[in-house]
Amino acid sequence: MKQPNIKPYGEKAVLIEWSPSIDNETLTHVLQAKQLVLETFPEQVLETVPAYSSLAVFLNKAVQQDAFIEQLAEKLKNTAKAEPAISRVLQIPVCYDPKFALDIEKVAKKNNLTVAEVIELHTQPQYKVYFLGFLPGFPYLGGLDGRLKTPRRENPREKIETGSVAIAGSQTGIYTASSPGGWNIIGKCPLRFFSIEKKPPALLKFGDFIKFVSISKDEYRKIEVEVNVDIYKIGEEAKND
Amino acid sequence: MIEVLKPGLFTTVQDKGRMGYRSLGVPLSGAMDAMSAAMANKLVHNNTQTAVLEFTMMGPRLLFKAPTVIAVCGAGFHVRINDRPIELDKATEIAENDVLKIDHPDYGNYGYLAVMGGFDTEKVLESQSFYRTITKKEQLAKGDLLKFTTASSERIRRHASFSLDRHHFKNETVEAFPGPEFDLLPKTFQKKVLESHLKVKPQSNRMAFVMEGLEGVSAKEIITAPVQPGTVQLTPSGNCAVLMRDAQTTGGYARILQLTEQAICKLAQKRAGEKVRFKVKELL
Repeated sequence: MKQPNIKPYGEKAVLIEWSPSIDNETLTHVLQAKQLVLETFPEQVLETVPAYSSLAVFLNKAVQQDAFIEQLAEKLKNTAKAEPAISRVLQIPVCYDPKFALDIEKVAKKNNLTVAEVIELHTQPQYKVYFLGFLPGFPYLGGLDGRLKTPRRENPREKIETGSVAIAGSQTGIYTASSPGGWNIIGKCPLRFFSIEKKPPALLKFGDFIKFVSISKDEYRKIEVEVNVDIYKIGEEAKND
Repeated sequence: MIEVLKPGLFTTVQDKGRMGYRSLGVPLSGAMDAMSAAMANKLVHNNTQTAVLEFTMMGPRLLFKAPTVIAVCGAGFHVRINDRPIELDKATEIAENDVLKIDHPDYGNYGYLAVMGGFDTEKVLESQSFYRTITKKEQLAKGDLLKFTTASSERIRRHASFSLDRHHFKNETVEAFPGPEFDLLPKTFQKKVLESHLKVKPQSNRMAFVMEGLEGVSAKEIITAPVQPGTVQLTPSGNCAVLMRDAQTTGGYARILQLTEQAICKLAQKRAGEKVRFKVKELL
């Protein structure tokens, strides 16, 4: 495993940092370290928060931080080379109808594309879920086609509805809860990405891949009903190499 | 049972927070001034992490439908039972049909009400703390009913009175550890961060306290990374914010300092316009 830097992060947390980068190899390291920390130190560790190239480890009050850092460094050093984890690819239905896709024409115009081309480019990649943050269950996705890059709206909306699929800069994401926001809305997904009654409550997890699948308004309504009564089955597909 | 006659400006139920779900993007939450909340609990013989009511600037008006023992701690709120003033930081008996009125504070922002035995409200993801998108309620509303565990008469005996050091509200020093990006700041900036008197801006809330006074000091954005309550962020345009209990779990601004737990509680009680100064505490 590539040796990360480990440092204290306040009184009761430790930060494990790899060189700052957004790529698969780094993500594999973060994923592996998270698993190792949770398995090796179940008593000492309350929870961990992964991001692109770092992992925060929150410690129990009674833990000696410096001793923990030493043990952790030793453990990480003796860990075998990171193997890419086997990931699932979930098919996420999105309705790109203008009724939901408030900014899709703007995104198309900005990039000299037709709306159909925007949909085509957006549904092409298998996006990697780097980690969850910003809103409960919100995935930070990697893999947006460069031709869809669009700056944030100058005037953020006061409320973006739950399920809105959007683009900002070179990022794409799904609003997993309603929130104010400046992202350009290009569609809407009928799935629920965070339900407090489910275990785990978040639909996606760090390391997953997702593929957007274009659906009609009618299909959107149908899936919405199926989701409401909890009978909708999310499609999975094979990972492209 | 308690009936909310008036909710106040922004009143919530808070416990120690929603530990264990931050990797899913769920904020920790919990009492802003956890020390004052713990003290209110102690005064009524509760575990210090028992759920309490947190209120700010204008407190609630509550009708108690059963007798109990309460304590109000934190900011300097004026509190009355049926128009009779009661002291802060002291366990006080409540009779059936008593009305508790909590007005404005003379100092500080956040006040805490603990009832003996604790509030028996809904737990969502192992915590009673209110948070928009996680709990049904974001704040209390008129007519809400709050269940509490009725205290057994045996537990109502000697009523203690003690309080936090006044420094908690008056002193302007806020202790912090260097944050992950502190060393990336030029020495002149580090010096300015530690020597400036920073003013709390009015848009401060449970998510973040926004600070004024670091104009000219700035830091590059970072690749989105974990943040936590007490993280001091500095933006490329020189804005400074201290993340508080309802902070998001990750962020893209430089994390220049990390406040101690005690310092988070202290800062929570600083009002808009009041000043603080960061003091770096060396790590062992």
